[in-house]
Amino acid sequence: MKYFTIILTLFALPVSANVEITGNVAAKCIIQTTKSGAYGNPIASKLSTTPADGGVLPIIRYDVSIADSYTANITHPTAFSSSPSLSDTVAWTGSTSVTQTSVSGMSAYEAAKTVVGNTTIFDLTLAGSTWFSTASSATYGSAKPFPGGTYTSVVQASCIAK
Amino acid sequence: MRNNIIIFLLLWATALSSHEMTPAYPEVKPSHVLDVVKVEMSLFNSREEIQYYQVDLFDLNWTNIPFSTTYRIIKIAYKEKKAFNVYIRKSDMDEAVYLCTTSKVRKSNKSKTLISSRICSRLDGEPA
Repeated sequence: MKYFTIILTLFALPVSANVEITGNVAAKCIIQTTKSGAYGNPIASKLSTTPADGGVLPIIRYDVSIADSYTANITHPTAFSSSPSLSDTVAWTGSTSVTQTSVSGMSAYEAAKTVVGNTTIFDLTLAGSTWFSTASSATYGSAKPFPGGTYTSVVQASCIAK
Repeated sequence: MRNNIIIFLLLWATALSSHEMTPAYPEVKPSHVLDVVKVEMSLFNSREEIQYYQVDLFDLNWTNIPFSTTYRIIKIAYKEKKAFNVYIRKSDMDEAVYLCTTSKVRKSNKSKTLISSRICSRLDGEPA
C-alpha cells in the first residue's frame, strides 16, 4: 500500500512541457474602406466629392505585409451605378492621390503613380499602410440641372499581386 | 524604424472594415479529378456593409478564364473567414494568372460613392 501511494504521488507531480507558437509572415494585402465618399451638389448640373463642393472624398487604406509584392489600382467612376433616368450625357472627371502614409518613404508613391484611362496605379514598394483618396466629379450635359433623386457610383480599389 | 513598425502593427490591429485574401502566391496542387488542378484560398471579410464576394480568374490581359468552385459568389458574414478551393483545367494553367475576389456592393439610397474592393493573387509564382 505504501509503495502504491508513492507511485500515485509521482503521477500527480506537475509535468512541464514546451509549447511552441509558430507564425508565418507571407505577402498579404488588406483593403480597408476608411471613409465612403459622398457627392456634394454645388451647382445644379454638378455632383462632386470634393470638400470645397460640399462632398466627401472616399478614403481607402491599403495594408501590405511584404514590400514590393502588390500594386494598388484604383479606378474612379465613369458612370452612375444607380441614378434617376438621365436623358443627356454626363461628363466625368476623377483622380486618386496618396493622402497619408505609415512610412515616410511612401510619399514617393504620389510622384511615381501612373494613370491609365480612369485607373491610377501605385507600386506598393514598401511594407505598411497607405491611404488614398479618390475625387470624382460628374457634370450633366449642356449645364442642365441633374434630376432630383439618389446618385451612386462605385470606386474600384484593387490590390494586385506583382 | 522601430516606431514605424509599432505604428504599423497598431494600425493593422485596428483594421475594422477590410477585405483580405491569402495567399498572394498560392500553390497549385493536384485535385481528385484527372487533368484538373486546385488552388486553396482563404477569404476574410471585415467589411460590415459587404456580404458577398465574387471569384474570378483572369489571364495576363484580364480576359476571363474558365474555372470551377463551389460558389462563384461567396456569401461571407462580417468578421468571418472562409476557405475555398478553385479548380482549373491543367490546359488553362499556362494562361491563368490572376485569381481575384471582388466585393459586391449593395444599392444605396444615399447620393454617394461606394467602394468595391478587389484582391488578386498570382498563380504564375512569385516574381524573381
